[in-house]
Amino acid sequence: MDFVSELAVARYEKIGEIVGKCVERVEKPKTFSDIIDTVVTDKYVGIPIFLALMWAVFQFAYSVSAPFSDAIDVFFSWCGDIASGIENSYVASFLSDGFFGGWGFVLVFLPPIAFVFIALTILEQTGYLPRAAFVVDRAMTKVGLQGKSFIPMLLGFGCNIPAIMATRTMEDDVDRKITIMVNPLMSCSARLPVYVLFAGVFFKEVAGAVVTSMYLLGILLAAIMATLFRKFIFGGKPSPLLMELPPYETPTLRSVLMNAWGKTLIFLKKAATILFIGAIIMWFLTTHPWDATNGGELIENSYASMIGHAVEPIVKPFGLDWTAGVALVGGFMAKEIVVGTLGMIYGVGEEGVADVIPQHFTPASALALMAITLIYVPCLATIGILRQELGSWKWTAFVVAYELVLAYVVAGIIYGIAVGLGVA
Amino acid sequence: MRRLHNLKPGTKAIVLDIVGNSTLAKKLLGMGLTKGVELKVVRNAPLKDPMEIEVRGYSLSLRKAEAENVIVEVREK
Repeated sequence: MDFVSELAVARYEKIGEIVGKCVERVEKPKTFSDIIDTVVTDKYVGIPIFLALMWAVFQFAYSVSAPFSDAIDVFFSWCGDIASGIENSYVASFLSDGFFGGWGFVLVFLPPIAFVFIALTILEQTGYLPRAAFVVDRAMTKVGLQGKSFIPMLLGFGCNIPAIMATRTMEDDVDRKITIMVNPLMSCSARLPVYVLFAGVFFKEVAGAVVTSMYLLGILLAAIMATLFRKFIFGGKPSPLLMELPPYETPTLRSVLMNAWGKTLIFLKKAATILFIGAIIMWFLTTHPWDATNGGELIENSYASMIGHAVEPIVKPFGLDWTAGVALVGGFMAKEIVVGTLGMIYGVGEEGVADVIPQHFTPASALALMAITLIYVPCLATIGILRQELGSWKWTAFVVAYELVLAYVVAGIIYGIAVGLGVA
Repeated sequence: MRRLHNLKPGTKAIVLDIVGNSTLAKKLLGMGLTKGVELKVVRNAPLKDPMEIEVRGYSLSLRKAEAENVIVEVREK
């Protein structure tokens, strides 16, 4: 220890010597940076400013990028439509739903990822990023995370894929891992249609409160799991928040775009392959056996449906039947598909689902299904990004496993309470 | 004997020693908090923790729990 101390002192003495020779220090007046800092880290307005900026980042990342994602989606649907005109129906299905559908599925993530990194690079280069961590650190350390976890967690409400990539702003490996592992619990926008449908049908007057409580449940579970992971798996406290608060600077367009492009490229090179293969497998599972599904039209006869049926005994205690099982299997591709899959199974289409679900669900089992949709497994794309960012299949499998168990336990508790209160 | 985490914003002090956990001590030393260096507490975060100090001409943020390991002698308030 003493040796280390002496070494540090000697090193800084040498630095001081060199700096003394070539740098002239003058007692500086209050700089522009200081003035900004007194405002953005102020006791009263610091947090409101922080929240306003975070709102802006969220809007930029998702609302501004949405038209680009829509355009990509439209383009690949168009390619798919053309391909579906091919004489051979097997080739047509593979090309339109598998190949083009798969690429559309992968590439719609490019705009939000690029926009998230444009926003993050601007925050980083202006110097606000460490201030954001400085302002919010206290609150985040209470739940096993740290200041730099805030932005990735917030972005999770939009989509977990760019959110998990945003943890690249965190240096400490353990802090980053924990933030990644609990991120899928932040309820992304794909889960909203499922909540809206079920809450709207079963909890008419209080539907808004039910939907909100799903988001709060996700936050609560993320806080609990982060604390547990920290304590029992990684053992210890968050890494020290020793960081420089650099002077504010104007970012340069070139470096902002370079960084955003670099991160988008990482996604394309690494995760995109996993996602595309996953999409092809999902196409196969929902359209085969080919004859039984009448050429991919009857999902209820597909392998996906068989898996759904196999799941039935597991979810039966929560008042759920095989239709929920099949919908959840479909929802693995992307969680909003739960609604569409139910529509296909009941043969009423997405618009008619609301009319028929009271025949298959009770208010209590609807709550259980909403909780399961929130928690059960990260969607296919999230698993791809987990593998990319955690750097191992082992940790990725761990996330899937803990979420499955957690979904089961939480759904059971919610169903039990709901039945006990007479909701069913 | 005063510890850094107890100092109010505006206080100037000299570092006397770094105590406690050696991994953390190494990091604190690496950031320039060596014996004899002068520092100034700039502010606390809105939620009272972490704190910002000025040392060796730059601004450094650290949590109160980390600042507790820095033994200081107050110079002026």
